[in-house]
Amino acid sequence: MEVRIEDLVKRFGDVVAVNHVNATFESGKLIALLGPSGCGKSTMLNMLSGILPVSEGRIYFDDQDVTSLSPDKREVGLVFQNYALYPHMTVLQNICFPLKIKRIPKKERIERAKEYARMVHIDDYLDRLPKELSGGQQQRVAIARALVKEPKLLLLDEPLSNLDAKLRVEMREEIRRIQRESGVTTVFVTHDQEEATSISDYIMLMKLGVMQQFAATRNLYNDPANLFVADFIGNPTINQLHGIYEEGSIRADGFAKAIPIGNYKIEDGTRIVFASRPESVLVSKKSGETEMEVEETYISGKDTLCVLNAGDGFLRAYVDNEDAPEEKTAVRVSFRKKGVFVFSEESGERYYE
Amino acid sequence: MNNEKKHRHPIRYDPDEKFEISILWKILLFLGPFMAGILLFTIYPFINAFLMSFKENYSILRDTFSGWGLGNYRKVLNDPIFVSGLKTTVKYVVIVVPISLALSIVIAVLLNNAKRFKAILQTAYFMPLVTSTAAISLVFRFIFANEGGLVNKIITTLGQSQINFLGTNKWSEIVLYIFGIWNILPFTIILLLAGLQNIDPQYYTAARADGAKTFDIFTNITVPLLSPTIALVAIVNSISAFKIFDYVFQLYNKPGPGYNLYTIIYYIYEKFGGTKPQYGYAAAASIVLFFIIAVFTLLQRVLQRKTDY
Ligand SMILES: Nc1ncnc2c1ncn2[C@@H]1O[C@H](COP(=O)(O)OP(=O)(O)OP(=O)(O)O)[C@@H](O)[C@H]1O
Ligand SMILES: [Mg+2]
Repeated sequence: MEVRIEDLVKRFGDVVAVNHVNATFESGKLIALLGPSGCGKSTMLNMLSGILPVSEGRIYFDDQDVTSLSPDKREVGLVFQNYALYPHMTVLQNICFPLKIKRIPKKERIERAKEYARMVHIDDYLDRLPKELSGGQQQRVAIARALVKEPKLLLLDEPLSNLDAKLRVEMREEIRRIQRESGVTTVFVTHDQEEATSISDYIMLMKLGVMQQFAATRNLYNDPANLFVADFIGNPTINQLHGIYEEGSIRADGFAKAIPIGNYKIEDGTRIVFASRPESVLVSKKSGETEMEVEETYISGKDTLCVLNAGDGFLRAYVDNEDAPEEKTAVRVSFRKKGVFVFSEESGERYYE
Repeated sequence: MNNEKKHRHPIRYDPDEKFEISILWKILLFLGPFMAGILLFTIYPFINAFLMSFKENYSILRDTFSGWGLGNYRKVLNDPIFVSGLKTTVKYVVIVVPISLALSIVIAVLLNNAKRFKAILQTAYFMPLVTSTAAISLVFRFIFANEGGLVNKIITTLGQSQINFLGTNKWSEIVLYIFGIWNILPFTIILLLAGLQNIDPQYYTAARADGAKTFDIFTNITVPLLSPTIALVAIVNSISAFKIFDYVFQLYNKPGPGYNLYTIIYYIYEKFGGTKPQYGYAAAASIVLFFIIAVFTLLQRVLQRKTDY
């Protein structure tokens, strides 16, 4: 099912938790709602589920306007951050609950519940109470409970944040598998950019209630709309040099020479942020437009991370271990075309060539 | 080093002091008066009553008895007056406890959800708790009085003939039940409200997301999650209902208009006083009541363990 949100706003008193958001979630895709704490992710999710009424705007499921429908009429499955499994019910009863509410005959609902229990690999624990399960198992039950009513939309609110690092990676692959298997349109809330990029088809990145960018996961990394997106996505974070744009170069603060960055549609003298992915910074001993000093080097696996002095700022770059320069020596630096962006320092807006 | 010790034993601030003795004294000082009270007014009388129940032909004034035995129990359990008192008491418990509990659950859930009138409602349900039952019983007698009683006025206005609420067996019993339920409600509601506050609201949200409506949530989520408190309240109320005596006395000054509301405590009370006291019977009847209550207490333990999520 396709989900379309139009000009969605949610206010809590003076706080605007979600601020005029527009987007279309394609049918059958996994969409990550990403952003720092308090940016309105849960609020958005709860509006999609119908738990929270909207302040303004419309929500459409396919062509149906569901804005004022109650949760039970929306056919959504919801997985909470802390799972919210009913503590007095066994695993089977938990999974059966949505069907029981729909007054589906007992035999049929047990059959269907067992089917989904198998799908999430929890069928060995059907008679246990939630308190007798590990975090990962509880999460599977929560997913099964959300899926059993065969929702048209599956909503997950930071379902992995209670798990340890290893289980988190395992479970996110599980979620991906289950989502593929069931083919249900899924919205997945997280504040972890790595989690978002590793499983989603699309990412909606939010900040203070405002949607920053909504794009295919790959594009978010390769083609960020603004400085916030460029900074939020990617590990290690993107290099940022502040300075003044001047005839195809940046005069970085505290750095003597102009660094050529290519021609952008910017007036000379504008303050900009020159952002470059570490893998787009090319370091060599001979060829390169700009000379910089290597401040520190760290070996990380087969690569060496070089920290290059660029005045008030610095650049991080990766070099093959064999080619690694000595600390405190000069190297020559140039930039790839890909993974290099220029933003307005004032607004964070991106400038294009 | 010294510091570390301080942390481990926050009371023993000086490790060299002979703290064991000084602490024992403190414990005695604080607990002493309370323990003395319990010993004097609960444990001693209990042991005494227990022993008394096995003493045949016991006389309190002369402190004499003819021998040890089960005679008192045999007499009491075969005494039709005791058996009918037991029946009246059990009937009272079986009627008042479930009805008051059901009413309280509904009222507590409504109160818990009420946002607007919370303050007024809180005063309303606290009223019977802070008013003495003697005063309430007076009001009840006015309400159910024959001439000029509120209920009879309403009935006669509606064209029906007046009912003798306080003077007939059938109606006096019903008035007692209403009185019992009325008095037990506030305490029950307060405990249930506390239990409701302990339920994580996320379960309600989850249930709503699962499609449940208000009534489904009430029966499938609220009541089961409240069941530890419900069990506790049911047991506590049952125990106090088994000891029913004061309500009857306050309403009727005797065990009901036709001796029809004669309860176990009434039996004990009468055997202990009156013109021909039979202390042994009174003691045996108390011990029987004690065992009934003990069974309920054990039941509570079992129930609470079962509902401990
Ligand atoms: N019920 C509420 N009443 C008032 N303000 C609220 C309420 N719920 C959320 N907010 C505010 O709305 C904003 C967005 O909250 P939301 O819970 O959606 O954030 P989030 O992105 O889910 O954060 P997190 O990652 O910490 O869960 C916050 O500023 C929060 O304080
Ligand atoms: Mg949240």
